[in-house]
Order: sequence, then C-alpha cells, then structure tokens
Amino acid sequence: MAEYEAVIGLETHIQLNTRSKVFCSCKADSWEDPQNTNICPVCTGLPGVLPVLNEDVVEKAVLLAEAMHAQVQPISYFDRKNYFYPDLPKGYQITQFDKPIAVGGHIDLPIPETADPEGKGYIRNVRIHKLHIEEDAGKTKNARNQRLVDFNRCGVPLVEMVTEPDLRTADEAAQYLIRLRQLLRWLGISEADMEKGNLRCDGNVSIRLKGSEVLNQKTEIKNVNSIDSLRDAIRKEIDRQIREVEKGNEIHAWTLDWDEDAGVLRKMRSKETEADYRYFREPDLLPLMISAEWKREILKEFPERPLDRRQRFCDQYDLPVYDADILTLERGLSEYFEEAVKEYQGEPKKVSNWLMNDVLRMIKEQRLEPRAMQLTPAFLAELLRLVDAGTINITTGKSLLQIVQDTGKSPAKLVEEQGLAQVNDDAQLGVICSKIISEHPKEVSAFQNGKESLIGWFVGQVMRESRGKADAKMAKDILTDLLNK
Amino acid sequence: MQLCDLSAVEIRDHISSKQASALEVLESCLQRIKQVDGRPGELESGPETKEDTERVHAFITLTEGAARSQAEMVDKMIANGEDPGLLAGVPATIKDVFCVKDTPSTIGSRILANFISPYTATPVARMRSAGAVVLGKVNLDEFTYGSSTESSAFQPSTRNPWNTGRVPGGSSGGSAASIAAGEAALSLGTDTAGSIRQPAAFCGVVGLKPTYGRVSRYGLIAFGSSLDCPGPLAKNAKDAALMLCVIAGPDLRDATGANVPVPDYLELLEKEIKGKRIGLSPDYFQITFPNLETGEYTQQPLPIEIQEAVLRAADVYRSLGAEIIEDVPMPNTRYGIPVYFVISRVEAASNLHRFDGVKYGYRTSSETDDLKMLYKKSRGEGFGLQPKLRILMGMYVSAAQYSEQYYQKALQVRTLIRRDFERAFDPSGKYKLDALLTPTTPSTAFPMKDVYGDSVLMQYADQLAVPANHAGIPGISFPGGLDADGLPIGVQLLGPDFTEGVLLQLTHAYEQATLDAEWRTIRPAVLKGM
Repeated sequence: MAEYEAVIGLETHIQLNTRSKVFCSCKADSWEDPQNTNICPVCTGLPGVLPVLNEDVVEKAVLLAEAMHAQVQPISYFDRKNYFYPDLPKGYQITQFDKPIAVGGHIDLPIPETADPEGKGYIRNVRIHKLHIEEDAGKTKNARNQRLVDFNRCGVPLVEMVTEPDLRTADEAAQYLIRLRQLLRWLGISEADMEKGNLRCDGNVSIRLKGSEVLNQKTEIKNVNSIDSLRDAIRKEIDRQIREVEKGNEIHAWTLDWDEDAGVLRKMRSKETEADYRYFREPDLLPLMISAEWKREILKEFPERPLDRRQRFCDQYDLPVYDADILTLERGLSEYFEEAVKEYQGEPKKVSNWLMNDVLRMIKEQRLEPRAMQLTPAFLAELLRLVDAGTINITTGKSLLQIVQDTGKSPAKLVEEQGLAQVNDDAQLGVICSKIISEHPKEVSAFQNGKESLIGWFVGQVMRESRGKADAKMAKDILTDLLNK
Repeated sequence: MQLCDLSAVEIRDHISSKQASALEVLESCLQRIKQVDGRPGELESGPETKEDTERVHAFITLTEGAARSQAEMVDKMIANGEDPGLLAGVPATIKDVFCVKDTPSTIGSRILANFISPYTATPVARMRSAGAVVLGKVNLDEFTYGSSTESSAFQPSTRNPWNTGRVPGGSSGGSAASIAAGEAALSLGTDTAGSIRQPAAFCGVVGLKPTYGRVSRYGLIAFGSSLDCPGPLAKNAKDAALMLCVIAGPDLRDATGANVPVPDYLELLEKEIKGKRIGLSPDYFQITFPNLETGEYTQQPLPIEIQEAVLRAADVYRSLGAEIIEDVPMPNTRYGIPVYFVISRVEAASNLHRFDGVKYGYRTSSETDDLKMLYKKSRGEGFGLQPKLRILMGMYVSAAQYSEQYYQKALQVRTLIRRDFERAFDPSGKYKLDALLTPTTPSTAFPMKDVYGDSVLMQYADQLAVPANHAGIPGISFPGGLDADGLPIGVQLLGPDFTEGVLLQLTHAYEQATLDAEWRTIRPAVLKGM
C-alpha cells in the first residue's frame, strides 16, 4: 500500500463571553435559561430594527487575533449572508466576508511524544487563514410534528477562525483544539467548552500521497462536540478516504455529520455546488475602524502567551517540559508558580514539585482559583523555607499546606502556635532516645548482635514518641551513639 | 379657515398661549378627516365607488383614542404651567412604514397587515415626547416601492387633494395628501429615491429629505437601507424646520446615525440670503430614459411650465441678493435611476427576507408540512407585485455570477454621482455652490392608473430626486406655482451634507418673497367651500 498523509484544516467557531450580544443589549449567555427569554426586537429581527456593534466583541476578537499573531486590520467590514431558515429571524446573518477583522497568523503546536508515531514529539506550525466576527443563529428543534424555535442564541457573538490546511494527523487536530481552548481561557475571552457549544469545530479532511504537494478533494466533518470526537472522526475519515482511493474510487465533496452515539460519520449532503449567499456589505453598520490607539488600549495588558510561557519556564527555571506544560495549562497557576519562585528564591524545581504534587491536587479537589487561594505564593515560599531550614520536616510541611489554606495564617505562625517545630535539641532528643532504648531491650540486643537494619525501626519509634517533630537525621546519630556504647 | 388649517408653528403658539386647546385642534382635524378622507385603506376593499374617487383616503389606521389622550395630556401640562415641548399639541400623521407600539404597522402590505409593533420608531417617539398628537398611520406604496401610492395593498389608495383624479405621488402619498388637505399639520415620511420630495411636489407641500444619518432610521421598515431617510412633510419651511429640530440627532440604536450637533433650524431661517451661491444645472432640466425595445437612452426636456417655475425661483433668489450660477455640470445625473434600480433592489431583496411567515405577519392558511412550501406560499400570497419584482431583480443582480457587473458596478457609479455634488459644492472649487436649484419632478401629478403597472416609467418620475439619495445629501421640495391644470409644481434645492438649515432658510425666503403670489390664494380642490 502506498503511504498517505492527511491534509486537515479546521474551522472553529468561538463564542465570546461578552455580557451582552453582538448587536443588541440582550444577555449573551443563555445557558440553562428558558427558551426565548433573552430576546428583543433587534435579535429577533422585527421589522425596522437596526444592529449596533458591541465594542466588547471587537476587543475580544482583537485579543485573539494578537494571540494568534494575526494582523488586525485597521478597517474591516460587515456583510450580509442571505439564506432562509427559521432560526435566522432576519433571513440573513451579519458576518464578515472578504474584509475580516484579522488575517494571517500562526501557532507553533507542540505535539507530545504520545501523539508522535516516532515517539519523540515535534512542533507543527499551523498557519491561520483569517478571523472574523459574526452573529450566531438561534436553535430549532422538532417536537412531534411541530418545529420549535429558540431565539436566545440569536446574536450571540462568535469569532470564526479558520486554519490553513496545515495539520497532518487527527492527533495534531486534537492538539490544535487543546491549545486553542487553553488560549481562549488564558485570555478570558471564551468559556471554550465544547460540550456547551461555546467552542465548535468543523474539520476539512483530504488525503494525498506522502511527499505530494497537491490538495485533493476534501470532505467536511461537522457536529463534533468534544476534542476526542474530533480526533476519532478525523481518524475514521482518513481511513475511509484511504480505503476508497485504494479501491480506485473518487472522493466526493461530502459534508459528514458525526453521530456521537454510534461513533460514525454520516453523509449529510453533497456539496458539489456551493450555495449562493449573495453576500453584500451590511448597510446598517459602518466600516469597523480599529485605530492604532484603540488597538494599543486593547492590548495594553496583553499577557504572555501560554506556549511562550511554557518555553520560558523551561529556559528560565530549568524545568522539564512536563513540569512547564502542567504549570502553564492555566494562567492563574502559571502566575502562582512564578510568584512563589520569586518569593522563595530557591530552586524553582522544588516549587514546581510542591505545586504539581500537592497544591495542584488541592486546587483540583477543592475547585480553587489559584489567584484567590489563602495559601498564597508567599506562604508557600515561606513554608518551603521552613522545610529547607529544618525547622519542620517534609511531612509537617505537607500537612501544613491545607491548614494554611483553611486558616489563612502564615506557616511560621502556625508552626509556632501549634509547636510543630522539629525537636532538634540534643538534650531533649537524647532523653527520648534513651527512653526508647530502655523500653526495648530485646531490639537493643538484636541490634548489638549485628542486626543493624533495626536502626530505622528505632528512629521510627523516636518519631512516634515526638509526634513527628524529631529531626530524623539527628535522632539516628544519637541512637547510633547510644546503641554502640 | 379652521384650526386644522393653521401651520404647526401657529397651532403650537395657539395652544401654548391658550388661544386654543390641543383637544380643540384635534377635534378640528378629526372633523376635516371625516369631511375629506373617505374610507380608510383596507385589504378587502371591494369595488371602488364614485364617492371613493372624490375622497383623499390618506389613512390606513386612525388612532383617535391615543390621539385624544395625548391631546389631553398636552392640555393638562399647559394648564399646570409645564412645557409640553416644541410640538405641543401639533397634529401629525405617520407614514405606515414606521413601527409604532401597539399600533398596526402594515407598510401597505398584506404580509404585515396583522403586525402590531411591540416598539416605537425613534423619530415617532421623539415627536410624541415633544408633545405632537399622532393621529394615525397614513397610506403609502407597498413597502414604499412606488411613486404614486397606488401599489398599496390597502385600497382605496390615496388621491391628490388638488384633484382626486390624480395621484398624490409616493411613496409618502398619504403623508403629503394629509398635509395638503389640512388633516394634519405635520407628517413623518421617508425618502429613498424622492419618496418625500416627489409627493410633496405633487401635493403642493414642503418635503425635506435630510442628510443620510441626520434622522434615526430605527423603527423604519427598511427598503434600501443605504438610501432611506426619514424626514418631515409640512405646510411650509418653518414647520419643517420645527419638526426637524425634534426628530434629528444621534440615536444609540442607529449605528449609521451622524454624530453631528443639531442646530436650531428655526433660528437659521431668518438669516440673510445675500451672497448665497445657487446653481442651476442643465442636467436637471431634462430627463434621460431608456427605450425599452432598443435600450438606447433618449433625452427629453422637461415641460416648460416646470422649467419656468424653477427659473422664477432663481429670479426670486437673485432679487434677494443671491448669486445664480448657471451651467453647473452634473453629468452623472442620468445614471441615478439605473444605479438605484440595482442598489435598492439588492438591499430590498435582503431586507424582505425576514418576512417569511414564521414569526409575525402573514402566514399561508393552506396546510403545509414542508418548510420551503411554507416560505413560498406565505411570501407568494403575502407580497404584492412590487415586492416580488424587487426581490427578483435584487436576487439577480447580487447573484455571485452577476454581482461584479451589476451591483459592484452600481456602487462605483454611485460614487461618481456623489462626486458631481462634491465638485459643485466644493468651497475651493469652481462653483462653490451653497445649493443647487432644480425641479423636483419631471411632471406634475399624473392621473390615477396612468403610469401604474409600468414600473420602469414610474421610476423615472424620481430621476431628479434620486441623486440626493445616492449622494446622501439633503434635499427639499417646496411649491413653486401651479401648472395649467391647476396642479402644484415642486421646486427642489439640494445642498451639501448637513446643510438642512440653509435649504430651509432658502425655502423660507422664497415663501416670504412670494406671499402675495396669486397662485398661493388657490387651495386644493377637496377644500372647496371649507
């Protein structure tokens, strides 16, 4: 069999998390609201109404464009896309067609070892074709022999972002969505939850002989509602296309509908001729002008991008990629880490260990927001310093994490209040050690008869007697001394 | 002379000074409506009676109850020493293209005959809050698509108060006729290609199409969104100025509204005419139209009476100290109609998409379980001839394979039309005009049914009006005499962006200078004996 590669482009629809809709003042988020409650004359397309652009939508689109290294256009236009459907009350969708808000851009997608057939991991550069703003349509559903329409979603702001056909495997496509979702939440511009539909993705898939540069007939995959489904659907479509081509059949420009329950793609309609939407400039809206000044204002506090930060964590803090990846999954956590490192002034890897092993578990289990924790980065740093100085041992340190989080008190204060400092006073520790030795003559003689491994057992007894506060190393020295006398 | 025959300013002053109450004015208007209007337009109107042919039929919906409460409120405020606003107690009609809350907003079409708007258009809301007493909704061409009001689905359609055998013009025919017949002092109309100015000319009243963006379009059922302008129809320039003061200005609900301060148009009226530069263009003294067989363009001079009316107006201005500049070239005027045919249809076809029988308005009563059939039947049965023609044309010229040669081309020519005006008005250019003086229409009011059905010829009635819509500039039509048949002749002034004040001032000056003209003593025929 010849060797094939897939050519994949993704078209994502991103629902922005603005308070109001894109062209009216209705509440944008209708999650769990009853049908047709967030509607007004404008978004239901009553006669005579006019759209007014929500600037918040523009600003969030600009943030995304910047994050994708796309060129924000100083002037862009809105157009009407004309078609009839009951969930489209105006009979046209206001969108951007030939002059979108941003063009170009790219993302360097790290493909992990697990998604690399050669097991090494690599970078896939994905170019962005364009980003444009548009309004969402409503929802229709069939109930017995009636068709019901819910206009709540009409006019909810979307950014449509289209990649060039630069992805080569289903795993890469999944990685793109994973990184996009991370980025959207990082920027705080979308909830980016595929299951709730605020991140939607259609995939265009074709195949070609490996090494070839041609673009063959593609099919379009629609209605995938999770990253796993996208991966699964693309994988199956690539396999199908290879099978067809191997059989000598032609690939047709089908639109394929993903059936989540059955886990199969079904042909929706053939798309040999494109519908004519009769695009023309929306006369009810002025050209969208984004002045240099406005853009500067929007990007004033533009954050470091997650993948950039991930790389910097590796370079600057000498972290393994694995650590850097986890610490930058979420912006709040990455900021927490950096602040803790700064406060701590010690080995960054140590902060990373504590964060990834213990603090992250607390965050996940208790659904904490890193930025809002009582266990502040400064307290974590203080706690690490107490361990380093031997004031408390690691076990005490770890149990303190939750106490600091619960009480909001500084680790040093808690150690003092609760008498948690290690027993490292020679005399005091000597008394405990002597006590243990005198209470266990059998073990003493066993030790003295050569069973030296018992020293660990003796240390354990001392730790128990001191309720964990003893400096284990010092206890071992004293015990060895006493036992060898 | 009744209270209802007074101008808006006079009525306002009568009411403010308690010479008359708003209710008395309202009663006078209702009385006049009863005398001259005949039965209102309706969908199932039955055969036309002889009486129908002698009445004005301006109204579709008379909102007497709402008018009465508004008048009572105005009177109460006056009694309490409060100021009800600039339009205190002034009776007004609204072209049925504007949405008014809790009122049928039909746009003269079967497809919206049952539509009761849940909100009010911005200009109407502004008139009401300035104290205007809205009498109701007046007739128009279906979806404003016409120049005679005959295409309304609500029949009998409006007739010209000067001669009820003639059309009132259109599409704001009900508006113009209601002013001419003294049924109201002010009317709110819309102008997409002359739809305020042409009926104003035909009915012998003043009609102002403001600069695009000067008056909010919110609540105006769209025809050609890039061309539509709401504006006043009134008895004289002063009334139009008064109304413009109220309805003009930015609106948060209209993104295409202009953020330009609204001057006191009344104050501007009294300024000097001396030194104003007024142009005349040969391109406005002829019409150019295609031979439908050969496609060749033919030119035809305007009727001499109309030319003379404009030249008389020029003489008046000259005598007031204005400078008349002749031979101003406006070479792209002839393309106004073809360009309009394309642009307005593309916008109209898209604007009509929302009328699909799904959410509001007419839905076919025939059983259908197929969505496409629901659309086809509802639209097929709900729309009249004009909307259908415009949808076909609009869909055709915006189709992917034709858009370049029609729609995109039309947009380019539109720019050229605008450039004609920029050149004429350029303060550092050759002509430096303050205004261009032209006829409003190539003819006076034509007989009912004469042109109706020939939508191309009908359209050419707007040839001299439509360039202002393409260019977005303001234009005004005012009465400049009567023709041999005793029908009003409209004279038009066109000015640079946001110079409504100058146009009103020039109109006012003409009115003052011709107060004693003999033709001004003649009143519309329907008012004989009143």
